[in-house]
Amino acid sequence: MSILEVRDLKKVYTSRFGTQQVEALRRVNFTVEKGEYVAVMGESGSGKTTLLNLLAALDKPTGGTVLLDGVDLSTLPEKDVASFRRGQLGFVFQEFNLLDTFTLEDNIYLPLVLAGRNHKEMAERLEPLARWLGIDGLLKKYPYEVSGGQKQRAAVARALITDPKLLLADEPTGALDSRSTDELLSLFAQVNRSGQTIVMVTHSVKAASHATRVLFIRDGEVFHQLYRGKDTNEQLYQKISDTLTVLATGGEAR
Amino acid sequence: MKKGFYLRLALDGMRKNRRLYLPYLLTCGGMVMMFYILYSLAYSPAVQTMRGGSTMTVVLLLGTIVVAVFALLFLLYTNSFLAKRRNREFGLYNVLGMNKRNLSRILAWETVVSALVSILGGLIGGLLLSKLAELCLIRMAGERTGYAITVAPRSIAATFLFFGAIFALLLLVSLARVGISKPLDLLKSEAAGEKPPRANWVLALVGLLLLGAAYYLAVTIESPLTALFIFFAAVLMVIVATYLLFIAGSVTLCKLLQRNKRYYYKSAHFVSVSSMAFRMKRNGAGLASICILATMVLVMLSSTGCLYFGGEDAIRGMAPYDVTVALRYAAPEACSGEALRELADLVHDLSGGREKNLMTVTDVNFGGYFENGSLDLDGYSRILEISSSPSVLEHLRSVYFLPLEDFDLETDRQPEPGEALVWSSGAAYPYDTLAVEGCTPIRVVGTVRELPFRLTTEETLVTAYCVFLPDWAERAGEVQNYCASLEDEMALPETVQVCFFDLPGLSEEEQLRVTENLRQALRDRMEEEDRAWTGFTTNDRADLHSSFFSMNGSLFFLGIILSIVFIAAAALIIYYKQLSEGYEDQRRFGIMQKVGMTGREIKSAVDSQVLTVFFAPLLMSGLHLAFAFPFVQKLIRLFGVSNTHLLILTSVLCFLAFGLFYVFVYRRTARAYIAIVSEGDERR
Ligand SMILES: Nc1ncnc2c1ncn2[C@@H]1O[C@H](COP(=O)(O)OP(=O)(O)OP(=O)(O)O)[C@@H](O)[C@H]1O
Ligand SMILES: [Mg+2]
Repeated sequence: MSILEVRDLKKVYTSRFGTQQVEALRRVNFTVEKGEYVAVMGESGSGKTTLLNLLAALDKPTGGTVLLDGVDLSTLPEKDVASFRRGQLGFVFQEFNLLDTFTLEDNIYLPLVLAGRNHKEMAERLEPLARWLGIDGLLKKYPYEVSGGQKQRAAVARALITDPKLLLADEPTGALDSRSTDELLSLFAQVNRSGQTIVMVTHSVKAASHATRVLFIRDGEVFHQLYRGKDTNEQLYQKISDTLTVLATGGEAR
Repeated sequence: MKKGFYLRLALDGMRKNRRLYLPYLLTCGGMVMMFYILYSLAYSPAVQTMRGGSTMTVVLLLGTIVVAVFALLFLLYTNSFLAKRRNREFGLYNVLGMNKRNLSRILAWETVVSALVSILGGLIGGLLLSKLAELCLIRMAGERTGYAITVAPRSIAATFLFFGAIFALLLLVSLARVGISKPLDLLKSEAAGEKPPRANWVLALVGLLLLGAAYYLAVTIESPLTALFIFFAAVLMVIVATYLLFIAGSVTLCKLLQRNKRYYYKSAHFVSVSSMAFRMKRNGAGLASICILATMVLVMLSSTGCLYFGGEDAIRGMAPYDVTVALRYAAPEACSGEALRELADLVHDLSGGREKNLMTVTDVNFGGYFENGSLDLDGYSRILEISSSPSVLEHLRSVYFLPLEDFDLETDRQPEPGEALVWSSGAAYPYDTLAVEGCTPIRVVGTVRELPFRLTTEETLVTAYCVFLPDWAERAGEVQNYCASLEDEMALPETVQVCFFDLPGLSEEEQLRVTENLRQALRDRMEEEDRAWTGFTTNDRADLHSSFFSMNGSLFFLGIILSIVFIAAAALIIYYKQLSEGYEDQRRFGIMQKVGMTGREIKSAVDSQVLTVFFAPLLMSGLHLAFAFPFVQKLIRLFGVSNTHLLILTSVLCFLAFGLFYVFVYRRTARAYIAIVSEGDERR
């Protein structure tokens, strides 16, 4: 059974006085199966962030539906959406989005505290996760005291500590140097192998080449997709580059 | 470059940041206005020519100085706040190729524009309102004046000079700030990662101890006059302690709460406590300032208000009769009914027969240390000097020996020689005898419920006994002789013949004229040889009234003006705080939402913090006010007002009014906050 199903998703932004309209997404259709690692690629302004916000019900679609594990998010009341979001979804953002008023530890605990878990349980969950992510020595530090890569790993820990059904990532490597990028991508691949479903938005061919499937968005629609099949990362990388070249030179839809 | 380019950039910048600049200019203008009003009033002919005008001038000049110093400090503070917000813009200009000289020119224009707008605006407001203020002041002092509007060139010049100097200083400070900064710092200064707050146990503890000590001092001060210095020390300690507690104490408290894992990791506390620590670190100083300003406003308004509204009562206590004339004698035997009759005739002549309730009293009075029915005269003056502790004060008595035959007292049994009737200003006289040192003990055979005349509040400061004696001349003589043998000037009893009367239906001026004529007649009489008395004193209510109200009226007036200044300042601080809170929270809102908080959860968490942050100073100032109460009470008693209920009433009313105003400002500024936060919503 597919964990995420997106049907005819449409999003139109209207400016404050209704004078201008931007159609960010026109008709997006795709499904994600459990255990998949999907990368979404597209040019800047093609609507990737918009798509991710709709998947997380942070924004309301103009038309179409998003089914997460069979549940239509747009039918839930606000209160339930929030608890659904913190229980079922994990987020990793380009700019980390850690709260600077919290230590890394407390940032990671945040979703659990909101869910009303007790401290002992939280600590038990964090301990192996932090060790695995290599941030067990940094938990008492504040975000401004650690590097970008370390911040992003803390953000990953915050996303994973709730055991989410779906991990959403928006340009997670966008603000990282190449070494931190490699580390983060291999972490993602590892979590994915242990069964975690991931949807990741990215510009970077390298990042996308770690996924099991790559979606290309253009003009508000899913324009093309590539499956990894038995390819290695290098082979997938080559295929993605080729596809992007075709896209850039204005190739026609599939 | 084109002419006016920098001026345009400056104006543009101010327009873009009008959310910051408008309140700033308003406050500057307000300060200018208040300065002008106070200064011009101090030298206003209407004030200077009225009775008690010189006191008023002094009070008003003091007020001008307070406003001046405050304006300087406060404008420095707000200017640095503005600068912080504008650094980004300057950083951008800098990166775009403007050098520091160019930036300085923009800054200079900005300062010139701000200075002109606020000084001119403030002066116009001042000119318009100064007449109103003058009318209020003179009315409060109980006088009347004309309605002609005056322009005081001297005050205008002083205002221009003073505020021109302040703005020049502000410009220098801003230039220095740009001079020492590096371009990238300017760009980053706002975005730079903020250091997390650290709990400073030592400072927090010092703050707590200081506050405790200051409160203790304030509450235990006995005599406000000798302890004025101690009180100022206490005030300083409270100020320092307030800053320490708001800056260090609050953060430490948050850290303590964070240590308690079971408390901290609850969704109701988690976000609030940790962001509270940051909020307090950023806002501690501002909040402490608000607290201090609030306390000053409260103490000032409640005490000066109490002085003003309690004035009539106080005057009635200090001068129970419209006019009191006392003739002093060297010894009791010199007293004669003739002198009194002569005095009464004089009064009758000079007041044109309009005197009422005229009454004459002959008495010998002295003070002593009272214990178990005996009064110790020896060393009384020494006791007064060395100690005013309550245990000694309780034993001090002033005693009035009065001839029984002069009064028509109701009593069960007329005293025989060696016996007496006693009236007490405090609890009823508790013993059978009164043994005055050096005299034959007197048997007390009855108490007098109601004194046939009124004593002043001054005379009843320590418990007073009026002793009505059938053998007055002998007893008074004994006291006189004994005291004379002590060879202590201070210990000598006072022998007086007093004449009280009212002058109903006469205006204050007429009353003053009557007493002046009376004084003149007595002075003339002093020149003559054939009089028994050695000197005289007068006490007239009209004079007391005008000096009292020119003093207390101008104090209250000043209290109100300064309160307005301080309140405006506090409001601006609150407003700026709300703005910066808004900018900070903008980002957090987004993150928390993504992590799974509902909009309502976030809003309520933020609301509760913001409320705590803003109402902590109010509560703290209430506490300060409560601990200052005993001192204020003693202080205003010095001014003759001892109405505790009135003081409680004015304090509570001031606190409520201020609280109401505070809520109003908070609500208004909260809009700016919400506007900023929802701007962020849209951007996301
Ligand atoms: N809040 C908004 N209001 C109006 N228009 C918006 C809003 N957010 C995005 N848009 C517009 O919708 C389109 C898609 O934006 P989106 O942020 O989804 O692009 P993106 O693919 O994430 O781009 P990038 O790779 O640069 O992050 C853009 O044209 C953008 O201008
Ligand atoms: Mg994007």
